[in-house]
Amino acid sequence: MKKIGFSIIIDIFIWFFLIGFAIIVLAPLLFMFTASIMPAEEIMKVPYPWISNTFHWQNFWKALKGNDGNFLFVRTIINSFIVASLTTLGTIFLSSMAGYGLAKFRFKGRMLVLMLILSTMMIPFEAIMIPLYLIVTKMGLQDSYAGLIVPLLLNAFGIFMMRQYLITFPEELLDAARIDGATEFGIFWKVIFPNSLPAITTLAILTFRAQWDNLIWPLLVVQTPEKKTIPLFIIQFASEKYTDEGALMAAAVIASIPMLILFFKLSKYFLSGAELFAARKD
Amino acid sequence: MKSLEKKKAVWGFIFVLPAILFFIIFNFYPMSYAFWFSFFKKNLISLRPPKFVGFQNYIYLFQSDSFWNSVKATGIFALGTFVPIVIFSLLFAVLISSRKRFQKFLQLAYYSPAVLSSVVAATIWFLMFQPYGLANQFLNFIFNTNNIDYKWLSNEKMLILATIIVYFWKYVGYYTIIFIAGIASIPKSVHEAAIIDGANKWQDFWYITLPLLKPTTLLVSVMSMIQTLRTFSTQYFFVQSGAPIKPIEVITLNIYNTAIRDMRIGRASAMSIILLLIIMFFTFIQFKISKSDEISY
Repeated sequence: MKKIGFSIIIDIFIWFFLIGFAIIVLAPLLFMFTASIMPAEEIMKVPYPWISNTFHWQNFWKALKGNDGNFLFVRTIINSFIVASLTTLGTIFLSSMAGYGLAKFRFKGRMLVLMLILSTMMIPFEAIMIPLYLIVTKMGLQDSYAGLIVPLLLNAFGIFMMRQYLITFPEELLDAARIDGATEFGIFWKVIFPNSLPAITTLAILTFRAQWDNLIWPLLVVQTPEKKTIPLFIIQFASEKYTDEGALMAAAVIASIPMLILFFKLSKYFLSGAELFAARKD
Repeated sequence: MKSLEKKKAVWGFIFVLPAILFFIIFNFYPMSYAFWFSFFKKNLISLRPPKFVGFQNYIYLFQSDSFWNSVKATGIFALGTFVPIVIFSLLFAVLISSRKRFQKFLQLAYYSPAVLSSVVAATIWFLMFQPYGLANQFLNFIFNTNNIDYKWLSNEKMLILATIIVYFWKYVGYYTIIFIAGIASIPKSVHEAAIIDGANKWQDFWYITLPLLKPTTLLVSVMSMIQTLRTFSTQYFFVQSGAPIKPIEVITLNIYNTAIRDMRIGRASAMSIILLLIIMFFTFIQFKISKSDEISY
């Protein structure tokens, strides 16, 4: 009887610990959302009020308009959407193609190609970004969407993930399509691609998020304000003297909304993305 | 039949070709370029051809305070971040996995900061670290002090701690999910056998769960360490918003500043190669771990 009492106390303690930490983890998010609709004076109040009587929607207008009144933020949101979407489309197409080639075809040097691709996992982007920037400049792609997109179109992880997914794809289906006279590319496009949607969705989310999040590469490539992406705008906005705290949080909310919507709609792909990343083994 | 095989082989190669070209142009070429330039003196905008200087860039770096300061800043940040991340994500994962209710909710809650972009995360904390901000209010509440300003963004030590907190907050949930997946992959029968043999919950954790989680733990350790060695956004953000650069000028930030602000491509390349070697070393270990340490039940 005494033992049961003890385990209940432990159980309650664990709940307190987990919920306590959940509150600490969620507090900054709650701060972002509440501060985004508060006037600056209230944000700076000690203690922080958490709930305000006013709904200060002007913050959002101020963020979109920017300190110069040129609506640069709107432009950067569009840029981020264009860059992240195009990169994602390119990545899922090229990764599944390469993954399919490595999973289902036997050609000379196949293992060598796989090893070479996997070995690029060892190259951190930050270590090659400067020469990459020089190369992109030489190609005349600096300060352009292409310069932002093309060097990030493929990564070893995406190809490896697609290969692992496709390696168990039933061979009979492919042969049946071949007998029916489908071309090899037709098989890829009409049989493989639509049938690997779970893996493709995970890869698409990982890629979109990585590009939406990317700071260091746009920082190098972009020179003109009109080509900036959201992270570059937010850093600039935060360092400007006249930026209102509420407007800064409103900008943060706007920048997070697409990812939060994706997260709540497709949380299982986010979580499986993390798991997949951990499970990468040959 | 033979020709069909041959035709298939050609197609396989065609499917892989774009990837091969991509990795040559955008990975191997810049890597060799960095290696090459690390032996030259080259200015970012000067049109003069690069001048061969041998090992001078490396010698310069090993004698420069700025470089060693970056090594120190990166080392402190990496150690100070990945060790707590591994410990806490393991702890969270074990506790969350032991819950019968609200498991999904807790997973989502802990994971949610990972959804935000790094710059947004830094922005939120940037306001919370202001003198009036929630970070001060929290510490004042914990230590029962009255309106002390802990100078999060100006005191050197607090600034380092601030960058660590931002990173820890953003990624601890991500690694928690990985651990939860690892725990879930341990077959129930193993736990049941232990319980039947008279083990209590603590013994089950200590002698069954933890040893079987060893591969996951090693993987998370190396992965999170590599990620922390590559940190950039928070440090760049804080410096841009007026924080002192010295305590948080991590290697990546130093590479960026050396190349773009000082326009010294050769020096930045030498630094890139050093970063590359460090991270390659750890990645190599990670490959070794995930290859050799597989557990079969």
